Amino acid sequence: MSMLEVNSVKKIYTTRFGGNPVQALSNVSFQVEEGEYVAIMGESGSGKTTLLNILAALDKPTSGSVRLDSKELSKIKDSDIAAFRRDYLGFVFQDFNLLDTFSLEDNIYLPLVLSGKSPDEMKKRLEPIAQQLGITSLLKKYPYEVSGGQKQRAAVARALITSPRLILADEPTGALDSKATDELLKLFSSINQRGQTILMVTHSVKAASHAGRVLFIKDGEVYHQLYRGNSTDNELYQKISDTLTMLMTGGEHR
Amino acid sequence: MKKGLYRTLAWTGIVKNKKLYLPYMLTCIGTVMMCYIISFLSTSETFGNISGGTTMQGFLQMGVGVMAVFSVIFLFYTNSFLIRRRKKEFGLYNILGLGKKHLAVVLFWETLIIAAITIFAGLFFGILLSKFAELCMLKILHSEAVFEITVGLNSIANTVTLFAAIFLLIYLNTLRQIHLTNPIQLLHSENAGEKPPKANWLIALVGAIILAGAYYMAVSIEDPITAMLLFFVAVVMVVIATYLLFIAGSVTICRILQKNKRYYYKTNHFVSVSSMMYRMKRNGAGLASICILCTMVLVMVSSTVCLYFGVEDSLRQRYPRNINIDASASSVEMLYGEQTEKTIEIVDETVQENSTEVQNTLIYRTAAFGGIIDNNRIEVDSSIYENRMDLMGDIWQIFIVPLSDYNELMGKDETLNENEAIIYTTKDIKYEEDTIQVGENESYKIKKHAEDFVDNGIDSMQVFPTMYIFVEDLSDFVQPLENYKLGDDEISLVSYHWFYGFDLPCDDDTQITIQEQLTERFSESEENTDEFSYFHIITDGVAKERAGFYGMYGGLFFLGVLLGIVFTFAAVLIIYYKQICEGYEDQSRFEIMQKVGMTKKEIKKSINSQILTVFFMPLITSGVHLAFAFPLIRKLLLLFGIMDAKFLITVTFCCYLVFAVFYMIVYRVTSRSYFSIVSGMRDENE
Repeated sequence: MSMLEVNSVKKIYTTRFGGNPVQALSNVSFQVEEGEYVAIMGESGSGKTTLLNILAALDKPTSGSVRLDSKELSKIKDSDIAAFRRDYLGFVFQDFNLLDTFSLEDNIYLPLVLSGKSPDEMKKRLEPIAQQLGITSLLKKYPYEVSGGQKQRAAVARALITSPRLILADEPTGALDSKATDELLKLFSSINQRGQTILMVTHSVKAASHAGRVLFIKDGEVYHQLYRGNSTDNELYQKISDTLTMLMTGGEHR
Repeated sequence: MKKGLYRTLAWTGIVKNKKLYLPYMLTCIGTVMMCYIISFLSTSETFGNISGGTTMQGFLQMGVGVMAVFSVIFLFYTNSFLIRRRKKEFGLYNILGLGKKHLAVVLFWETLIIAAITIFAGLFFGILLSKFAELCMLKILHSEAVFEITVGLNSIANTVTLFAAIFLLIYLNTLRQIHLTNPIQLLHSENAGEKPPKANWLIALVGAIILAGAYYMAVSIEDPITAMLLFFVAVVMVVIATYLLFIAGSVTICRILQKNKRYYYKTNHFVSVSSMMYRMKRNGAGLASICILCTMVLVMVSSTVCLYFGVEDSLRQRYPRNINIDASASSVEMLYGEQTEKTIEIVDETVQENSTEVQNTLIYRTAAFGGIIDNNRIEVDSSIYENRMDLMGDIWQIFIVPLSDYNELMGKDETLNENEAIIYTTKDIKYEEDTIQVGENESYKIKKHAEDFVDNGIDSMQVFPTMYIFVEDLSDFVQPLENYKLGDDEISLVSYHWFYGFDLPCDDDTQITIQEQLTERFSESEENTDEFSYFHIITDGVAKERAGFYGMYGGLFFLGVLLGIVFTFAAVLIIYYKQICEGYEDQSRFEIMQKVGMTKKEIKKSINSQILTVFFMPLITSGVHLAFAFPLIRKLLLLFGIMDAKFLITVTFCCYLVFAVFYMIVYRVTSRSYFSIVSGMRDENE
């Protein structure tokens, strides 16, 4: 059984003042196996963010089901949802979403504090992660004192520290320069090699080319998917580019 | 066309930011209104003709000054909130091609529009409400009201000038701020990265020490004169300490909490402590201002209320009877001589002519002088203590009263052996020695401390405490003192008085007539006296002085309440702006916390606890300030003849309670708008 199962998810937004309903997702189905590194690609407005919000249990689908470890997301009680998110999911955002009132260390601790862990245990957990991400010397600094790449690494550490089942990344390279992007993608690959499942939403070909599988979304549907197979990053990059060109020129569904 | 554009930009700028501008404009209108009303009342001719009215207007003149200074500070403060929030908009205009010169024009229009609307509206409401205020004031003075609205043209001119100047200053200040920043800074000024606040131990410590000093001073001061002299020192110390503690002390406490890992890394404390630290750094000064305003309002209102409602007590102390006759005589013998009988005869005649009667008489004799207390001795040589400010607190008024008068007045049957005395002291000051020696006299043993004695106008008029020494024989006691002179003059130190007071069961007008007749007749009978043998009579009456008292105490009361209202609204507005600003700042934080896995309930709880702390800290601190100021206020009110401590406690407590309830309401209203800002954003994103 797959770790994450998304079955015919549909999402329709109705605007507050009764305007025309907007269909963000029409019919999305896919599975993610444990230890996979999946990238979801699509243009702006294709429904990527909506999908991610639904996967993160921040939003509920109009119809269809999302199961994580065969737990139906929409069946989780509202009161448990935050705890579920904390324990099962780790988030990495485009704009880092670090709290500026906390030092990096405290930002990383935040989910652990929320689940009531002791200071000693938090410290034990942080040390190896910080080392892996190369932010040990930055821990006492505040977000405004460090660069974007460093902020994103702190955000990754925050996502990892709860040892979540799944990491959800929303355009993680969107606000980074190319050097920081390379570093972050390398980091993601190495995390994935240690067995961490990652689901990344992006429209950067470069970011997607590091993934093991790439899903393409268009008009609220999964339109196409590419497996890395034995390709190198560069070969995958080429394949993705070709697919995107085809999608844009309006090629037919295969 | 071009001008029209600027005007339109200015107008839309105001309308779009109405959440910020509306309270600002209301404040402006409120301050304009208050300024006009106070200025109008202080110059209105209606009061010139009423007894007590001019006294009251004197106090209101002071109020005009206070209001003017307050308006400048306060409008500047609220305006700084506006600018801070609007810098982004200005930056955008700047980037879109509006030069700083053009921005200046837009801002000029904006200021002009706001100034025009608020000054006009303020004057309008001011004129409407000034009649109401006038009626209140007449009621306080116990006077008849005339029902016609008058407009103080002078006051209008003054108010308009004052506020035009203030708005001009505000405009220039805004220009200065915009001139100093470049467009990028303008655009990002709202979310500029902020350094984590440093705990400034030294400042926090200094603040704590100053506050402790001020509190100690307030509690330890015993005599009213020192209280009066040091009151303002204490106030300044408390103000400084409050600012230091709110700004540095609170951050320091948060830092200490953060160091304690077991405490800090708890769901309840983690977010609260760290964001409190930022909140306090940014709002420390604002909160300290709120706290000081609250304390000011409470002290002012409770003491003036006390004064006003204690005015009859105060009158009674100053004038123990309806009519008080104070005769100063040239010798002790005269106090027992025929002049006293003659005076009583005149009184009886006059009172009978007015077909009423003398009641509740009060007669006693006394030898009065001033001296410096030095352990168990009273120094009476005035050359020693002349021009010595440091000895001010040791000066006493001494009354030597024969024991027979004491026994008769108080219905006692005390006896004294040789060199024994009974003493009684006023103004809450204790004399703790066993003996007392006056000048070079023999030392007297203090047999007991009397529990009470009759009120005395001189005592209540003076700031100095009074000591009554009751002795068997007045003339024996004072004889050695007769050679002392007062300073270089040839006036003898000791003066002899015969007090005769009585109540009259008739209305104030008759009392005033009787008093006037008495004064006339006494001066006739006094003609054949000379420098060495005199019996000089002064007649005072409550009825004649009442209006003056009401004018003074009522004026203070009225001013206290008016300024109390103004300061309260100032505090409310600061609170409102704080909440709004923090709401915008917390929006994003709120969102992140939710994404990271905090439940809405947890967030709400944490935010609620922060707001509660931030909100009620000033109220609680001002309560503590008030509690410590209480002994000081009591001492000061003693000088005004308000002796009733229980009354003062009740009034102060009620004021605090009313204020707290009002504060709570403000909290409910403003925190609602805070939550709507914070969660409103979230809804849009979902």
